[in-house]
Amino acid sequence: MNAWLEIPRGWLDSFGEIARFGSRVAGLVYSGRVLKFFGESLRQAGILILGSALIIWGLIFVLGLTCGIEGAYLFRAQGAPAYAGLFSAWCDLREVLPYAFGYMLSAKVGTGIVAELGAMRISDEIDALEVMGVQPVTFLCATRLLAAWITFPFMYLVGIGVMYFASYLAVVEQIGDVSSGGYLLIFWMFQNPLDLFYSLIKGMFMATAIVMVGCYYGYTASGGPVGVGTATAKSMVLNIVLVHIIGMLGTLVFWGANPRAPIGG
Amino acid sequence: MATEEQEPQTQEEPQADEPRAPQNTGPYVSDDGAVMGRDFVIPGVDPTESDPYRFHTGRKRDHGGEDAIEVIDLVKQFGRARILNGLNLGLPEDQVSMVLGPSGTGKSVLIKHIVGLLYPDSGDVLVHGESIPNMSDDELFEVRKKFGLLFQDGALFGSMNIYDNTAFPLRQHTDKSEEEIGEIVNRRLKEVGLSEATYKMPNELSGGMRKRAGFARALVLEPAIVMFDEPDSGLDPVRTALLCELIREVHAENGGCYLTISHDLNTARRIADFLAVLWNGKIVESGPKEELFDSENAFVSQFLKADVTGPLSMD
Repeated sequence: MNAWLEIPRGWLDSFGEIARFGSRVAGLVYSGRVLKFFGESLRQAGILILGSALIIWGLIFVLGLTCGIEGAYLFRAQGAPAYAGLFSAWCDLREVLPYAFGYMLSAKVGTGIVAELGAMRISDEIDALEVMGVQPVTFLCATRLLAAWITFPFMYLVGIGVMYFASYLAVVEQIGDVSSGGYLLIFWMFQNPLDLFYSLIKGMFMATAIVMVGCYYGYTASGGPVGVGTATAKSMVLNIVLVHIIGMLGTLVFWGANPRAPIGG
Repeated sequence: MATEEQEPQTQEEPQADEPRAPQNTGPYVSDDGAVMGRDFVIPGVDPTESDPYRFHTGRKRDHGGEDAIEVIDLVKQFGRARILNGLNLGLPEDQVSMVLGPSGTGKSVLIKHIVGLLYPDSGDVLVHGESIPNMSDDELFEVRKKFGLLFQDGALFGSMNIYDNTAFPLRQHTDKSEEEIGEIVNRRLKEVGLSEATYKMPNELSGGMRKRAGFARALVLEPAIVMFDEPDSGLDPVRTALLCELIREVHAENGGCYLTISHDLNTARRIADFLAVLWNGKIVESGPKEELFDSENAFVSQFLKADVTGPLSMD
């Protein structure tokens, strides 16, 4: 029995460790101590934009097409092709965009952070920082979190535009069952600025979790290159799980009680 | 501040260079009451051994100066493996010291305790009289500005070129202008013979060049204490000799307490003023280089003469 309990106990231990590490990193950002390394934050922000933005937007574009095509054929089958915009509005903003954002950040940014910090750990670079009197958690982790908070809202908002454009292309220009005006009328009817804000919050929670998990696994990596590889894999698994949990909770909290759909008066 | 010949705290016959006779009275019990084999093991020591420290006179010969660093009864255990077991050591100010010892005896662990990267299970480390393990994080980061540490592979930041690596401590800890920083960095890089490699990335450099770049970075803040973790590892004999010469030159110019850890005897002969021999987590003997090379202690003598016969074997 005890052996069975060891497994969930181990998970809880790890989760507690990650939560404590993450709150320490967030505290360093909120307290402003990270501003001592603002230049490094800007450098990290540049790396995020140049290294990840196009890939994320590319994936979002493809998924926007998918939402548009699914919606168009679904409503054609119901005999109401003019309502394709309804599907696109919800699919794009509320669900697929946050997940796409979370997947790509996990795969590109999260694993990148683990690999970079892990490599620094095993090559004594983090110890070197400490010996030089530089707080490594602040310099390496808090700066990355601040960079994420600076850049990701911008990337997410642009991503929304990319996804809307892709869905429009699929429904109006490619399938063409509905006119541009008809599509946009329904499309905008089924969303409002608050939905956009909620969607952004979902995405930012995911991004924050991914950066914190990446920093934790990278910062605490040990066991040479194999250890860094293992830490990278573990971070990817945990990030994917967290992306779905945050996605589910976000939908429940923001739209569970009131879906805000203008149906039935 | 031990400048006199000191009697070790835990040895019964401190002045004797000869080992004690083995005491066959059961497993070894450490100063803190822990029993070897039951509470801990010492890597490389048979757990049934009754007196693994019979060669450890702990004798400290007079070095004629003040101690910059004092290590007092340091104990560090990882799991059941006790790496340091009541280590006592004083490192003199304004001299190049060297801790020698077989592989796996805790030399790197010792250096990490001195800079506060590891905390002891018990014991203390004093740097200029201040206790490193008892400092708050902020105090520790402040006192670390006194240190320069050259890691085995240089530990250069892979994302920065050599110039930025060397300038990094100056940018973090001083208000100097970029022009002043450039002057200092170029001077240090010239000193270590890397003027031509200023804008290369660390992965474009050889092992020896990375070490020299790490040395330049360790020196830019003109630290009072500079430490070298196996500066000779992975270098050919000529480059080792050149690096040793460089360390001597820079020490002659800047002064301060330099500590090198290694197991290379040629390096010891070239750069050390003061030697300490570490084995099984304790200092066997320490003192000025010439005196230690003439020591009659069986272990010290075997190690410093690289003799195949003596207490140290392949086991």
